[in-house]
Amino acid sequence: MPKFTFNLPDIGEGIAEAEIVAWHVKVGDNISEDQPLADMMTDKATVEMESPVSGVVTKVAGEAGDVIAIGAMLVEIEVAGDASTEASDAIKSAAEPTLAAVVEDENPHAPEAVAVAELIPAAVAPAPLQPAIPADTAANKFTASPAVRQRAKDLGVDLTDVKAAGGHIRHADLDAFLTYGTQMGYRPAHANMRREDEAVKVIGMRRRIADNMAASKRHIPHFTYVEEIDVTAIEAMRADLNANRGAKPKLTMLPMLIVAICKTIPQFPMINARFDDEAGVVTRHGAVHLGMATQTDAGLMVPVIRDAQDRNIWQLATEITRLAEAARSGSAKSEELSGSTLTITSLGPLGGIATTPVINRPEVAIIGPNKIVERPMFVGDTIEARKLMNLSISCDHRVVDGWDAANYVQALKKIIETPVLLFAD
Amino acid sequence: MPEPVTKTMNMIEAINSALDVMLAKDPEVVIMGEDVGYFGGVFRATAGLQKKHGKTRVFDTPISECGIIGVGVGMAAYGLRPVPEIQFADYIYPGLDQLVSEAARLRYRSANDFICPMTVRSPFGGGIFGGQTHSQSPESMFTHVCGIKTVIPATPYDAKGLLIAAIEDNDPVVFFEPKRIYNGPFTGYYDRPVEPWSKHEGSAVPEGYYRIDLGKASVVQEGETVTVLTYGTMVHVVKAVVAEHGIDAEIIDLRTLLPLDIETIEASVKKTGRCMVVHEATRTSGFGAELAAQVQERCFYHLEAPVERVTGFDTPYPHSLEWAYFPGPVRLARAFDKIMKD
Repeated sequence: MPKFTFNLPDIGEGIAEAEIVAWHVKVGDNISEDQPLADMMTDKATVEMESPVSGVVTKVAGEAGDVIAIGAMLVEIEVAGDASTEASDAIKSAAEPTLAAVVEDENPHAPEAVAVAELIPAAVAPAPLQPAIPADTAANKFTASPAVRQRAKDLGVDLTDVKAAGGHIRHADLDAFLTYGTQMGYRPAHANMRREDEAVKVIGMRRRIADNMAASKRHIPHFTYVEEIDVTAIEAMRADLNANRGAKPKLTMLPMLIVAICKTIPQFPMINARFDDEAGVVTRHGAVHLGMATQTDAGLMVPVIRDAQDRNIWQLATEITRLAEAARSGSAKSEELSGSTLTITSLGPLGGIATTPVINRPEVAIIGPNKIVERPMFVGDTIEARKLMNLSISCDHRVVDGWDAANYVQALKKIIETPVLLFAD
Repeated sequence: MPEPVTKTMNMIEAINSALDVMLAKDPEVVIMGEDVGYFGGVFRATAGLQKKHGKTRVFDTPISECGIIGVGVGMAAYGLRPVPEIQFADYIYPGLDQLVSEAARLRYRSANDFICPMTVRSPFGGGIFGGQTHSQSPESMFTHVCGIKTVIPATPYDAKGLLIAAIEDNDPVVFFEPKRIYNGPFTGYYDRPVEPWSKHEGSAVPEGYYRIDLGKASVVQEGETVTVLTYGTMVHVVKAVVAEHGIDAEIIDLRTLLPLDIETIEASVKKTGRCMVVHEATRTSGFGAELAAQVQERCFYHLEAPVERVTGFDTPYPHSLEWAYFPGPVRLARAFDKIMKD
C-alpha cells in the first residue's frame, strides 16, 4: 500500500520551524481528506494542518510541545484503498466489545443488591442495629469517647452530623463521615486546604510570550511616564455618539484614543518606530499599524490594526471587535498578528491607577490607558465631579527620551481634553 | 565492670537479703516486731538475722502494733533507722495513729528539725485462704496520707532493691509485701500448679547491696491497645491473662504508689488510648480511683473508653468466696472485652 508523507509546509514568511500545539489524530486513526491533523504554532500564528489525503495514520512527528522544522515529516499516512476499508472495520470491531464491557462493568453489583433486598420480606428483616435518629433536637445529643471527640475537633467535624453504626460514635463512624460528609458540604479543617503543587509545562503560546517578554526586558531599558487626563468631555462626546449611532457599533474609549494617537503621532515620529538594534537602525514609520494587546484563553496576543491613521472612529470600532474575536478564537491570520509599529494595552475597568507596560519589541513605545474614575476637581474656583483617567507610556530609552515621551503625552492629553480637536484637520 | 553475683531467690529470701545487707551496712538500722527475732518471722523474712547481727539490732516486741510503730517513730526521731514489721497488714490499724499523726508529720511539725526514717514492712493481700483477718489490702489508707511513701514490689529483685531504697529514705515508708507471691509468681489460676520463682527472671537477685529508686514504675510488658496499671500480686495475674487471651496490653507495675510515676503512666495511656486499673483492694476510694482520676486529667482527649477498674468488692475479704472476690482471670477477661469494645 502506498504511503503518503505529510511534510510541514512553509506556513509563514521566513519561518524555519513550528511548534506542535495539539494533535487531532494519533497513530492508527482512520482519517479522511481535509480532516484536521494538528495545530502548528509559529512566531505569528497558530495554523491548523489538514490532511490532503484519506488513509490510516502510521506515524506522527512527536508530541505537543515539540518543535518541527519546516519541510520535515509531520504525519505519515497509509493512503486509502481497499485495504483501508478493511482496516477501518477491524478497528471498529475491536472497539465495540471493549465499549460493551465497560458499560457492563459500570455497576456490576447493582442488580444483585436489588435481588437480595427483594428476597428479604419486611417482616423477617432484622431490626436495624442503629437506633433511628430522631429528627428533633434530640438528634443533637450523641455519645462518643473523648478521643473521638478530640479527633472530630481536629478534623473540624461536627459530630451531630455523624451517623453512629452502634450506640456511640466511633472512629470508624468518623472515618465513614469523611467520605460521605463531603456531599454534605464538609471540608476538613486543616487537611487539604492547601492545593497540591502543580507543574505546568511552559509550551506553545505561553513559551512564546515568555521568550518575547524576557527579550524585551533584557534588551530594552524601559522607562514609564504616567499622566492624569480629564476625560469628562470626551466621555460626554462618546455618550452622544453612542446615543446617535444607529446601526453602527457601540463606541468604547479605545477607538477614540486611537484617533487621538494617530492625530498626534506625526509631530512625534520617534514614538511610532521600530528599532533594529543589531543593525543600529530606528525606522520611524509613516503609517500607524497599531498593535492591540488582547487577552485570550491561551494568553496574550497582539492583533494589528493596519493603517489606523486612515480609519474613522466607526471603522476602528468595527476592526477592534473583529480582531479581538479573531485572536480569541484562534482564527487570526499570521499577517494580522505581525507588523505593528506601536502598541496599546488596556485592561478597561481592571486598569488600575497606573501600569508599567512591557514594550512589544522591536517597537519603542507602548501606551496603557488606566481606568476612568470620577473625582472632585478644582475647575477655576469651584469643585466639580470630573472623570479622570491616568495614561501610562513605556518607552525604549535607547531611542526615546523622557522629554519626547512627556511632550507626546501632553499633546495627547490636550487633544483628549479638548475632543473637538479630534475632528479638526 | 563485672556483673554482680546473682543468686536465685524467692521474695522472702530477697527481703531477708535486703535486711541483712542494711544491718551490715548501717549500724543505725534496727529490726523489731512480733516473732521477728528468735523465731525469724512467721514468713521467715528475718530468719537468721538476730543470730547474725545480735539482739540489739533484731528483736521481738510485745503484740502491740501501736507500740511497735510508736517506738519506731521515737527511735527514728533520735537518729536510728528502724524497720519494724507488722505481721499482717490487717493488724496495722492500731498503729495507724502513730503513722498518720506522728511519723508522717514529724518533719513538718518540727520544721525540719526531726525526721522519721522508718520503714514499716508488712505482708498484705489475699489469695492465701486467709479470710478477712489475713488477706486485706489497705494501701490506699496510706496513699491518702501525705508524708508517707507507699511501696509494693512484685518480684524478688524489685523487693530487695526497693526495700534498701526505702530503708535509706529519710522519710517514713510503708512497704507492703504481697505475701501470695513470697514463694512464687501467682497467676490467678488457683486451680493450676504454682510455679516457683526460679523460673521467673525477677528471681535473679544480686547478693550484695543495690537499690531501686522509689517513685519509678516498671513497664513489665509493652503493648499497643490498652494500658494496665497494677502492682503486687496482680502484676502476675494480669500478665497471665493477657498471655492467655493474646491481648496486646502494656502492663505497668507501679512499684511505688506514692510518689506516683505519673509520667510513665501518661505516656503509655496516650499511646494506647485505653486504661485499666487492677488491684485486690476494695473498689470505693481504692487507689484505682486516684489512678483513674489522674489518667483522665492528663489523658482525657486520648481516651477511647472509660477507665476500667478491676478490684475487690466493697465487702470484707471473704473466706469461702475468695476466688469470686479476687479480681482473677475471669473478671479480667470480661473487663478486657468491655474496654476493647468501646
